[in-house]
Amino acid sequence: MNRPPLRVALTALAVGLLALFVAACGSSEDAPAGAKKMSFKLTDAGCDPHDAKAPAGPIDFEVENDGSSKVTEMEVLDGETILGEKENLSEGLSGSFSLTLEEGEYVLRCNGGDEEDGTLTVSGKLQADNSPEVEAAVAQYRKYLEKNTDELVTETKPFVAAVVAGDVAAAKAAYPAARIPYERIEPVAESFGDLDPRIDARENDVPASEFEGFHRIEKALWEEGTARGMAPVAKQLEADVEELAQKVKTVDLQAVQIANGANELLGEVSASKITGEEERYSHIDLVDFEANVEGAEAAFDAVEPLLAKKDPKLAKEIEADFEKVYATLAPYRRGDGFVGYEELTKADTRKLAQSIDALAEKLSQVPAQIVS
Amino acid sequence: MTPISRRSLLKSAGIGAAGIGLGAGGYLAGQESAEASSDGTGSVPFYGEHQAGIDTPAQDRLFFAAFDLQTESAAALRELMREWTRAAAEMSAGELIGDVNDVELAPPDDTGETVGLLPSNLTIGFGFGPSLFERRGLGLASERPAALKQIPALPADELNELESGGDICVQACSDDPQVAFHAIRNLARIGRGTVAMRWSQLGFGRTSTTSRSQDTPRNLMGFKDGTANIKAEDTAAMDRYVWIGDEGPAWMRGGTYLVSRRIRMLLEVWDRSSLEDQEQTIGRAKYSGAPLGGDDEFEPLDFAKTQSSGLPAIPVDAHVRLASAQANEGERILRRGYSFTDGVDESLGELEAGLFFIAFQRDPEKQFVAIQRRLGADDALNEYIKHVGSAVFAVPPGARRGGYVGETLLG
Repeated sequence: MNRPPLRVALTALAVGLLALFVAACGSSEDAPAGAKKMSFKLTDAGCDPHDAKAPAGPIDFEVENDGSSKVTEMEVLDGETILGEKENLSEGLSGSFSLTLEEGEYVLRCNGGDEEDGTLTVSGKLQADNSPEVEAAVAQYRKYLEKNTDELVTETKPFVAAVVAGDVAAAKAAYPAARIPYERIEPVAESFGDLDPRIDARENDVPASEFEGFHRIEKALWEEGTARGMAPVAKQLEADVEELAQKVKTVDLQAVQIANGANELLGEVSASKITGEEERYSHIDLVDFEANVEGAEAAFDAVEPLLAKKDPKLAKEIEADFEKVYATLAPYRRGDGFVGYEELTKADTRKLAQSIDALAEKLSQVPAQIVS
Repeated sequence: MTPISRRSLLKSAGIGAAGIGLGAGGYLAGQESAEASSDGTGSVPFYGEHQAGIDTPAQDRLFFAAFDLQTESAAALRELMREWTRAAAEMSAGELIGDVNDVELAPPDDTGETVGLLPSNLTIGFGFGPSLFERRGLGLASERPAALKQIPALPADELNELESGGDICVQACSDDPQVAFHAIRNLARIGRGTVAMRWSQLGFGRTSTTSRSQDTPRNLMGFKDGTANIKAEDTAAMDRYVWIGDEGPAWMRGGTYLVSRRIRMLLEVWDRSSLEDQEQTIGRAKYSGAPLGGDDEFEPLDFAKTQSSGLPAIPVDAHVRLASAQANEGERILRRGYSFTDGVDESLGELEAGLFFIAFQRDPEKQFVAIQRRLGADDALNEYIKHVGSAVFAVPPGARRGGYVGETLLG
């Protein structure tokens, strides 16, 4: 998981910095076409207005800190899933974010306010203006997503069974196969609030009492050499991945989200796989590395037709860069898996990191291309 | 939407153009005359006969990087040099790079940390290492200058392979460290996939003067450094010792060769040596900078002068004697080095600091290598320094407007 968690509520555009720039230029930023502007103030009491109504569709949330020292962020949530937010608005600062919302009730949260939560009521029908190509991209990725969450459930079962049975060797053997499907679709899992930390938090990411999921068991198996005491953790993990598999079936996906998800997966590789931090006890970081890259590739494949219409050269370059990453990874393959992270030299990790950076630099240009 | 620019932000931040002298058009893109102002408003023209950052006054800060090529395609190298040239010219003029800096869903072309900062005399120069010409796919082997050879092993070398060599170098100098950092960072980003950074060096203080208008700075040993350096105003010396002329190859005419050496100073040991030892080691008085036996920093070095004891005033193993033109068959080099520190030496717990030496010359073998061979063997300074990194690059001539650096080789 990320630290701090990057969320896949990707319709939220981080325009805060841009807004500052634009203000300084003395010109004004045009909102996305047809977006409804809603203005909020951060006050000690909470969001002002506390409750609001809006029509379904794109909404620009303009947030200004009106002199509150204790409330510095505003979030819009669907249940406990953060869809969009603007943070770090200290006194006098303003920022904005955009969301496309369908009919329903959402939480407006000003963290730290006297009354934190208000309600945003969205009514009316969201106009479906998706082209067939966009629909096809979303459908293709949704299939991949569900295939992998199903596989996650299937592969987690034998792992959990071995842990519950106290069979350390069998549990260790079953561990990588359960990790792969999760790492392929991790950005989506991260959109479900605390589900990702429950499944995938690393030690020190969360308070010690909340350290559970894959990595708690990994630590027991590899560092402590025992599965003792892990049965409840394993059973909870099984329940959590099943919950995830259910939740993704109804998740709203947009093409831009999918493209951004690909970037996030490569960000994961750079931040925690290539550094050996993710699998710090089992050292199967390269297994996760490959799974992240595969997940990014699947996301890219889904939106590639949209990109190819705009910038066929970029599409080809990205395809070639994916191949280069796999070629760079190939020498480290051993049987079904990879050499352990601790066997990699600095020269090895440098080569791997540079191949990811080259790919990611180009992949980061995709989201803007496919919306415009 | 109004395009974002470093200047417009600056102005809107309330810094009136006239107030700090921007009214003179100091850093308008395309200005071909230098504004050598050191208050940040000055800019150095990017385009010209020679690349900037050689005979232009040495700025206070350096960020230097060596890259390895990740491709064997000459077309990709050409495209890289085109893009780098465009970005370097924009940054030298104090502008943000690229066109896409205000699209919400796209990462901005410019990383942004110089927004609101002045041009600060930024210069960006490029060079090609010998290893570049050995990449077969590029087909450049026949263009390799005879003078571009790997620096041979020299006495007192303790080189680290990972801090040496490289296919392409970029030297970014500025009076503002963040402006220099921004230049290398953004060029590395533009080149990602085509080149990868092999090593880099941040320099925090210049140790040489390259112009008579500048005072002589001190290096980390506390001595004035660069008193006898070639000065850019001495165009005869520049032509004789620095700029490539008829000797060719043709694509290098107006260019030069850059030698870099990462020289670690054993500062803890140096600081324990007596003032007399320090002065005898260098051959100059520590505070005035005058040659031993002399009175004035700029008086000529008199190596024949003796003390009353009959011993030479400047010892036979003093650094200035062995490095002098007199001791080196009249050869000189243009030095443009910087002090550096990279924190603490992991194994010793001592300051990891010293001099990042940069020298420009027409023939590295006859100039730097010959001089360093003499120094490495006999210099009293060797007790206090170690050469840990080494590289050499062919620095092509400057680009004309509309062209790109390296066009004479790759075009």
